Amino acid sequence: MSLIEVRNVSFGYGHKTPFEVQALKNVSLSVEKGECVSVIGHTGSGKSTLMQMLNALIKPESGEILLEGKNINADKKSVAAARFKVGLCFQYPEYQLFGETCFEDIAFGPKNMGLSEEEIKKRVLLVCEFVGLSKDKLKESPFDLSGGQKRRCAIAGVMAMLPEVLILDEPTAGLDPAGRLAVLDMIKNYRDKTGATVILVTHSMEIAASMSNRILVLNKGERAFFGTPEEIFSHSDELIAMGLNVPSFAKIISALKKEGFAVEDAYTVEAAAESIKKLLKGEVL
Amino acid sequence: MIKDITIGQFFPGNSFIHKLDARAKIVLTLLYIIALFMCKNFFSLLLMLGFSAVCVFISKISPKLIWKSLRAIIFIVLFTSALQIIYNDNGEILWKPFESRDFAVTTGGVFSAVFLAVRIIALILLSSLLTYTTSPTMLTDAIERLLSPLKIFKVKVHALAMMMTIALRFIPTLITEIDIIMSAQKARGAKLDSGSIPERMKAMISVFIPLFVSAFRRAAELAVAMECRCYTDSASRTSLKVMRMGIRDYISFAVLGAVIFGAVFTSFYKFSSMFIFEPVM
Repeated sequence: MSLIEVRNVSFGYGHKTPFEVQALKNVSLSVEKGECVSVIGHTGSGKSTLMQMLNALIKPESGEILLEGKNINADKKSVAAARFKVGLCFQYPEYQLFGETCFEDIAFGPKNMGLSEEEIKKRVLLVCEFVGLSKDKLKESPFDLSGGQKRRCAIAGVMAMLPEVLILDEPTAGLDPAGRLAVLDMIKNYRDKTGATVILVTHSMEIAASMSNRILVLNKGERAFFGTPEEIFSHSDELIAMGLNVPSFAKIISALKKEGFAVEDAYTVEAAAESIKKLLKGEVL
Repeated sequence: MIKDITIGQFFPGNSFIHKLDARAKIVLTLLYIIALFMCKNFFSLLLMLGFSAVCVFISKISPKLIWKSLRAIIFIVLFTSALQIIYNDNGEILWKPFESRDFAVTTGGVFSAVFLAVRIIALILLSSLLTYTTSPTMLTDAIERLLSPLKIFKVKVHALAMMMTIALRFIPTLITEIDIIMSAQKARGAKLDSGSIPERMKAMISVFIPLFVSAFRRAAELAVAMECRCYTDSASRTSLKVMRMGIRDYISFAVLGAVIFGAVFTSFYKFSSMFIFEPVM
């Protein structure tokens, strides 16, 4: 049994108004426990809608979503359970900060779960370690933090619920390269320490390839591809046609293949360098 | 959900009503509202209600949208009607629930309750049609033009119109923002749509604080952006689209004029009481 199963899910916005949009069309997929899946797609491809469905914030118009084999939209209890089991961190989460102190803000989720004061405190300190937020910041107002720190604090607020599935919608948007690496490290940290399943929405193929074992590509609300990074990058022409950016090394590898060179598939810069080296040495022919 | 609120929204179209000059539409709506309060009996009121119903039909705005805007004020309608029934003692007594008290439901009360309800519905019908069929920019442009005589009294008409444009422009933005923040807090288990009323009120704090913070941030950013483009409210500006009254607008004035004349005439002319009961207000 897969941890998450999405079965033939469809959803549209603004029915019967001039602004009608079909956000998702008959999407199915399943995610195993402990996986890290990246979701890639153009703006308006339905990524965010799908992510909100996994957390029972949006109910699919048709189809169903199973978490550990149970439909999450079955009743109020299952919805509440899904909200706590699946932690969803929205895009630009720093705009959702509201607590008087960072501690209060991070503790909001655990408090809603009805945990004891002691447990809440333990969790806040634990996630501060995950995200690299120093303990003396906890007494400060989240509005006094720097941009990068606000993002850490906000992500910590979701992590503090210790969800079994952590979904992050473009956690690196608007950050500088150092900030991006820091956030990705936080996610890796969380995964290593808790063994959680992570779903990552991103625009960057590089991040998808380096972080995840499988990639889901959405195009205009439909599932275009779902597979390992190697499989996805082997479709680089189609990806470019969908308006998605393919990493330069993947473009080189696919161009070499087209010219008839037998290069090995690669989905990181290092691996691509290796396989080109091998090609040059004439090891693979 | 919050996104269902349609008041003040604009639905692009190509109908006769859409094409009317925005200034004409505002003046027509105002005239209509004034006439509505001059109606003294059901005959004239139904004439006015019929007029707005025809306008809705011509505008091709779906009745569902109209119903949505009416649904939002249903409470006000019921409330005013209830007050009428309670406080109006004219006419015959229909029902007296408490023997010892003076309170009674009278014919006059019931009739004036229905009368007021119809009047409010007619009022909302036409004024929501104004915003449904006129883009916000057109609307504020028209208000600026209509108010421009006030410039003699040193009223900053342009600044007022600009403030209105900006306020209208940000309604959908802030609604989207509320939606996102609510979802984000719900994802953290905030009891916004479940739990007791005090719990919900408490959870709303987690929505309103980020909303205000971001509204102020947006306002500050917009102010800087406008200053960067050297915006001042004292410069005299020309418009890209010059408003011109056309034959359509004159026809509309003529039609509304005829309807108002009919309504007012029947209001004051006594023969109307032969048709329908005249409520004592």
